[in-house]
Amino acid sequence: MAAEGLREPREQAVSVEGLRLKYPGEERLTFKDVSFKAAPGEKVLLLGPSGCGKSTLLQVLSGMIPKATEVPMKCENRQLPRSWAYVFQDPDTQFCMPYVDEELAFVLENLAVPRDEMKARMREALDAVGLHLKELHMPISHLSQGMKQRLALASALLLEPEVLFLDEPSALLDPEGRRQIWEAVKRVSAGRTLIIVEHRIEEMADYVDRIVLFGPDGVILGEGPPKEVFARYESELKSYGIWYPGVWEDYAASRAGQQWFPRIASSSAAGSLSSLEPVVASSGEGRGRPDQENEVVNPNASVNANRCSREPQITLQSFAGQRRSQPVIALDHAEVFPGDYVAILGPNGAGKSSLLLSLMGLLPSEGTYILGGEHVVKGKRKKLRKRREQQLRQIGFVFQNPELQFVTERVGDEVAYSLLVDGMPASEAEEASRSILERFGLHGLEGRHPYQLSTGQKRRLSVATAMARQPSVLLLDEPTFGQDARNTFAILEMCEQLRRSGTAILMVTHELQIAEMAATHIWEIREGRVVSQKVSPRLHAAESDMALAEVSS
Amino acid sequence: MGVPVKENLELQSRKGLRVSDILVTVLVSLVFGIVYHFWGSVYSLLKPFQADELLYGMWFAAATLAFLLIRKPGVAIIAELAAAHVEVLFGSGWGLTLLMYGLIQGLGAELVFAAFRYRNYSVWVAAAAGAVAALGSMVLDFYYSYTDDLESWLFIAKYGMRILSGAVIAGLLMVLLAKALERTGVTALLRPASSKDYEALDDPRHG
Amino acid sequence: MSFWGPVRHTWLHRTNPVVKLGVICLLFFMTVLTHDLDVIIYQAMIFTVCLLLLSGIQPWKMLLFLIPFMMAFLASASSMMLFGKGDTIWWQWGLFKISEESFYRGLHLGFKGIAFAAEGLLLVTTTQSVDLFYALMQKLKLRPKYAYSFMASIRLLPMVWEEFLIRRQALKVRGVQPARGPRRLVVRAGLYVVPLLAQSIRRAHRVAAAMEAKQFDGDRSQARTYYYPSQYSRYDVLTVGLLAAAVCCAYAGASYYPWFGIGDVRFN
Ligand SMILES: Nc1ncnc2c1ncn2[C@@H]1O[C@H](COP(=O)(O)OP(=O)(O)OP(=O)(O)O)[C@@H](O)[C@H]1O
Ligand SMILES: Nc1ncnc2c1ncn2[C@@H]1O[C@H](COP(=O)(O)OP(=O)(O)OP(=O)(O)O)[C@@H](O)[C@H]1O
Ligand SMILES: [Mg+2]
Ligand SMILES: [Mg+2]
Repeated sequence: MAAEGLREPREQAVSVEGLRLKYPGEERLTFKDVSFKAAPGEKVLLLGPSGCGKSTLLQVLSGMIPKATEVPMKCENRQLPRSWAYVFQDPDTQFCMPYVDEELAFVLENLAVPRDEMKARMREALDAVGLHLKELHMPISHLSQGMKQRLALASALLLEPEVLFLDEPSALLDPEGRRQIWEAVKRVSAGRTLIIVEHRIEEMADYVDRIVLFGPDGVILGEGPPKEVFARYESELKSYGIWYPGVWEDYAASRAGQQWFPRIASSSAAGSLSSLEPVVASSGEGRGRPDQENEVVNPNASVNANRCSREPQITLQSFAGQRRSQPVIALDHAEVFPGDYVAILGPNGAGKSSLLLSLMGLLPSEGTYILGGEHVVKGKRKKLRKRREQQLRQIGFVFQNPELQFVTERVGDEVAYSLLVDGMPASEAEEASRSILERFGLHGLEGRHPYQLSTGQKRRLSVATAMARQPSVLLLDEPTFGQDARNTFAILEMCEQLRRSGTAILMVTHELQIAEMAATHIWEIREGRVVSQKVSPRLHAAESDMALAEVSS
Repeated sequence: MGVPVKENLELQSRKGLRVSDILVTVLVSLVFGIVYHFWGSVYSLLKPFQADELLYGMWFAAATLAFLLIRKPGVAIIAELAAAHVEVLFGSGWGLTLLMYGLIQGLGAELVFAAFRYRNYSVWVAAAAGAVAALGSMVLDFYYSYTDDLESWLFIAKYGMRILSGAVIAGLLMVLLAKALERTGVTALLRPASSKDYEALDDPRHG
Repeated sequence: MSFWGPVRHTWLHRTNPVVKLGVICLLFFMTVLTHDLDVIIYQAMIFTVCLLLLSGIQPWKMLLFLIPFMMAFLASASSMMLFGKGDTIWWQWGLFKISEESFYRGLHLGFKGIAFAAEGLLLVTTTQSVDLFYALMQKLKLRPKYAYSFMASIRLLPMVWEEFLIRRQALKVRGVQPARGPRRLVVRAGLYVVPLLAQSIRRAHRVAAAMEAKQFDGDRSQARTYYYPSQYSRYDVLTVGLLAAAVCCAYAGASYYPWFGIGDVRFN
């Protein structure tokens, strides 16, 4: 695959025709007679709903399928790139050596680059991606996620690829890291063919020459310059839940958006806003209908209303969560009321997950922590620990990695398990779990192993297990990363529904739009401190909206 | 209709283990190595009473599990060596003897799998592999710790328990574990696709 | 392992890992084939001294050596002492029986255990895995696919550990009750082992794919250059000399100042 003497120009940098591919054990073909090609120097973005086969296609184009991973496939014609490199989604699973220089050297060794040239080439590649390290011999584990992705890009560059494949390189990064990686990509992509898979496309939509739009079953719906595609396929983009620029605004303006995430009046009396009461979903989206049994269905079960009438669900005073006896997250004072929806923002490594873990009692903490009107007991003695665990049972928790919190071998049992632990009779739990799975779009999958679900489905299942218990506090750690728009909105709607029934929600996220549209409060964390607690625009704008409404009526 | 892309596959099966096979084997075994490390700390306390022999089969578990997952020649030996390697790395008191034991035990298990031409993944074969691995460790014990000089009743009890434990832990339990892993679907990554899967590409129902 | 990271570098750190491995293997075989109680006691003592002098780690970490040493001693010595064959019986209680022969044999095994532990730790505390595998690839022509699989796996291990901790938290969050009884214990072990192994397999597979995406082909004896050249140096000679001297001391000590003077513990 290395440069073989003269490179006569080719018509296509990479192409495949009539591709058929099926994962063993799957029922349907992932691709049925799909063709794709890219001209030298072209920048192509593959866009489509989760699970449509974008990553698979990228691997076929690079030749990794079937060379590194055997998947049954056939095609009429296939032209592999002369040289290529690949950046994967997860920063932690694409390195094989512990140190930065060793990792880069691994690539150079594979290319048989003489040893005395190695250092210079490493420097050059790191400069190109804007990663300026004082010392090359630095543990990769000390880099931030964003830096790791740029390192991955640097090691890809060392291969001097004609074609660069990027599979969601920014999915796990904070906004700053995302900006940096895309800047680096733009900088290094001159003269190369670039094939990108990405859900979040704000940064790249203007840069690429062509967008290839996939439907849910691995069919190509259409392709063309970005503007054209977004204009021509607007309804498909919406109905398949694919990200496109302006999706948040469109959603907020849509029927579902209006219904689920209206502005909340800050001084509302419950009766006066019956017009805003959610209408049972009739938009054909089929997901998430408000639970009629919930005591409060009104979206205005809002903070400020509650603040006068109710006790805070959580009160924190001089609170600090610790790792290895060192405080990693500190907070002076905070109150969270039933029906609050707090979005927690902050860069990678700021301490967002640590905050949730210490609230859950999984990290030791100091300071005052009042939950549901009771001080959470401290201490290591068995009795105290038991008591604390009992108190913290009223919190539901969703980890960042859904797979690690599954405890049964069937999707159907997974939700029921939570309920059985809480002491619900088996038949009732069965019934409840069925209805919840239905609402989360997981019906028909009861018999599957939870690991055999798609990423989006696993994520929703993990949220479902936590929500089924109707906890009075729900903590979620980046529940929407790597999801397509449809799944993102589905998860947000489910949270909103729980919020309306009076649950206090704290959700870590990197998406500013989520914070502004869905949350009622925004906390920002930087370097281990909660530096600001604000009211979100959703709540904020309400006063003026209300005023307007009153004037007009 | 296109032609199946099989170009590299035949080549690969001749070449034997692929990078992913080795990496999976080694990582799984390293995980076992860590388990061994703690296992070793706990059970050497039982050592004076020989109760540890009943749990000895754990030391061969990496070999059978790796084979049950990957199903290729050579992985049993690599697995045992890798598990021993990580124990040595952690500063085990047994030092390099562990590599020797790993090699012989892995070889024992490997021989059984080879005798069935690497095509039999049943409980019986796994149990036999565990038992033969136990025999391997017994032979080394003669040189290393003169166990043939133990009282004969103890000698028989000790190695009887060890072989039994090899068959139960390395055989039965690992087959159960491999089955549980199969249910999660990850093993599909490790197995070659069957010709049935290739035929399904042309299935008229998809046409 | 980084845990054994030295605070000062000794000759042994500068020695080529392949040489070190070779020498230590020789020592290891020598120890296996030693059946003389006095020699083995001197070996255990002298290699322990070598370890304390040459490992270059903080003194408090040296205390941790006690654990493997104690374990090696107890595990090796106890059963032979209590259950070994022998004619001159000193003490008996039920099935337990200490005879002169079994006592000395047990003692011998205990010190043998310590000697093995010291030899092993001499290698482990002074050698980085990466260096060892680089040296094995260059000097002993180990296939790169094996060497890099080991190095990559060692890098992945801490992630498995982290997942283990998260899994423990997750089980707490899900309200999984503590297990009682052997059957439950197996089920509980499965709750940990299955997800961790499943994740490990998937992760290992992805890393392998990423390695191949970087044009790694550990098979075809691909022309390779090496970032860390593995060279022999005078420290190799020094180390060989030093350890040879240590062996001589052990034998000399045993013949001039024997502790027991009973010779071969097999009493044939
Ligand atoms: N190893 C596998 N075994 C079985 N099925 C798989 C495997 N990998 C992917 N699939 C299935 O193939 C389809 C396409 O997967 P792929 O990862 O290519 O989707 P994607 O478009 O990249 O999705 P996402 O945006 O979520 O990454 C999915 O339905 C998925 O469930
Ligand atoms: N398991 C751990 N052991 C020790 N320190 C840790 C561990 N996990 C995280 N830290 C440290 O604690 C700090 C906060 O980490 P945390 O995971 O809470 O960040 P985060 O805001 O959730 O980041 P991200 O957006 O990447 O998830 C970081 O400095 C990190 O280095
Ligand atoms: Mg993908
Ligand atoms: Mg986090």
